[in-house]
Amino acid sequence: MNEISQKDQAILARIGVNEVEKRDRRRQKRDFGVALLFMSPALLMVCGLLLAPVFYNVYLSFTNWRKFTGLDELIGFANYERMLGNPFFGEALTNTAIWVVASIVFPIAVGLGLALFLRDVRFSNTFKNIIFIPRILAPTAVGVLWFYVYAPQGLLNRGLSAVSGQQVDIGWLYQDNTVTPAIIATFVWQTVGLVMVLILLGLAAIPKDPVEAAQIDGASRFQTFRHVVLPLLTPTLLVVTILSVLAGFTVFDLLWVMGASYPGQRSLSLAVYMYFEAFQKGSWAYGSAVAVIIGLVVLSVTWVQAALQQRVDRMVR
Amino acid sequence: MAVNLELLDYDAIARRESEKRYGKWWTLAGAVLVALVWLVPFYYLAVSVFKTQTEYASGLPLALPNSLTPIIGNAVEAWTRAKMDIGMLNSAFYGVVGAGVAVLFAAMASFGLTRLNFRGKDMWFMIIFAGTIFPFQMYLIPLFFAYQKVGILNTHLGMLLFYIAICIPFPTLVLKNFMNGLSREMDEAARMDGANEFTVFWRIVLPNAWGPVTATFLLQFTWIWNDLLFSTVLGNRAETRSVMNSLQVFQGSYSSSGPNLVLTAALLASIPSIFLFFVLRKHFMEGMKVSAL
Repeated sequence: MNEISQKDQAILARIGVNEVEKRDRRRQKRDFGVALLFMSPALLMVCGLLLAPVFYNVYLSFTNWRKFTGLDELIGFANYERMLGNPFFGEALTNTAIWVVASIVFPIAVGLGLALFLRDVRFSNTFKNIIFIPRILAPTAVGVLWFYVYAPQGLLNRGLSAVSGQQVDIGWLYQDNTVTPAIIATFVWQTVGLVMVLILLGLAAIPKDPVEAAQIDGASRFQTFRHVVLPLLTPTLLVVTILSVLAGFTVFDLLWVMGASYPGQRSLSLAVYMYFEAFQKGSWAYGSAVAVIIGLVVLSVTWVQAALQQRVDRMVR
Repeated sequence: MAVNLELLDYDAIARRESEKRYGKWWTLAGAVLVALVWLVPFYYLAVSVFKTQTEYASGLPLALPNSLTPIIGNAVEAWTRAKMDIGMLNSAFYGVVGAGVAVLFAAMASFGLTRLNFRGKDMWFMIIFAGTIFPFQMYLIPLFFAYQKVGILNTHLGMLLFYIAICIPFPTLVLKNFMNGLSREMDEAARMDGANEFTVFWRIVLPNAWGPVTATFLLQFTWIWNDLLFSTVLGNRAETRSVMNSLQVFQGSYSSSGPNLVLTAALLASIPSIFLFFVLRKHFMEGMKVSAL
């Protein structure tokens, strides 16, 4: 045993494997230095301006920082406890939950519906482009446009008056029960085009054979869709759902622009509520705590997506 | 079995074939209806910017304008009152320099991550990519506070620094995947000829990655151009405001002076992104696809 290894070592030394290994290690060290040099601008910017603030934000949420005092005064979970009793927080949470449900249901229902419907229509590309157009505008510009569509003397009320024959005078963006649905409608109008395009890509990637086999076996169009197309489309639908949930959960621009005249603007969503508490009231620590809650929800949605993705990948394979 | 060609009803066959391909006529009618509903807000925008204030206030919202000339007055007034010149210049500066530098940094990082040999690449990549997983709300308060301390709150430099940082992680993901697929033979040949690593990056890898570099640049430029939140928090002064922030401020302060002026401002602010979309449609669609998947 010993003899062999000695012999081996001799051979290895003769062909210079040790040298090669050493050179390799040296080269790896040198390469790492060079790579670090190449990565350092990106690392510095991301760590300094994105990751460090996140950690600092978590720290702040445990302090008593308000206006100009209390930055170094740790108060544990008091900021989080304060949320529980706050009616504005409760309303903001409810509205955010409505946004999450709506951004699961509507983009999928409308996007899938439009994708299936517009796929085989004549001039299908023209129609698809029309549905996609709102997506190119900035959310701020879309918010401004729809702000006037919903205005008391605006397009929607005038249109409803003309159709119904009587004066319609709804303050869409001023009333508690209409403001969130109205803004959600605008959100769907703007974002469903991309959802549709993604679903169309998913549909195009579905192999023809199983669909044709089902048709030959006498399956109806609905049966084919339900039992062949839909299961194959699930991965796409999953990605699309998660994307729209994250977008709907953190939406700010539309609420900021369209909710400007609504008296309860601060409770339109957690994102707006956090802005009000920190930047208008000066409750910095409390605002940080709200931001942490938003972060926790986003991270758990991302985590659920990763888990589901793995399961779907395994199913497809 | 012979088929009597003269007995075949060619029109009926053509109709059946076309129906099989496109569906019944009412599906087309339905599609037209959906498209009209989708386009009404745009039509409303298009006619409103051609109306004078009295005309807008007195007529029906969807009525055609009396003449096309009022748009000039509207544009001039919206432009000066909303301080669009400063907003546009600021946003163009943030967008071009911010997205440009960000994509350059991302390309450099991707070069390091794909063309050089060292351990723990995944970890280094995850550090950079971690910049995309947190919601924006978690950055706001610490950045506002730190900017105030350092003295770059409400400055062009402060805005630019943040825009560069936020635009790095996503292009890094795209460019890393792309550079992974590029052949390494050219690098080795250049190294044999005595080129240093930076030359390899600048002369060989970067020119070959031009397609995804432009696509990610355009996406990030549009992101910066459309941003409202960070401009509101970190640069809310007349001199540093982005164009979308100017628009929002204009809407807030002049809601009494006539929606048609604010709508004109919204149209002006959107022209660059609409223009970019149509000129660079193919790049854009590719970018959208990668951004979503």
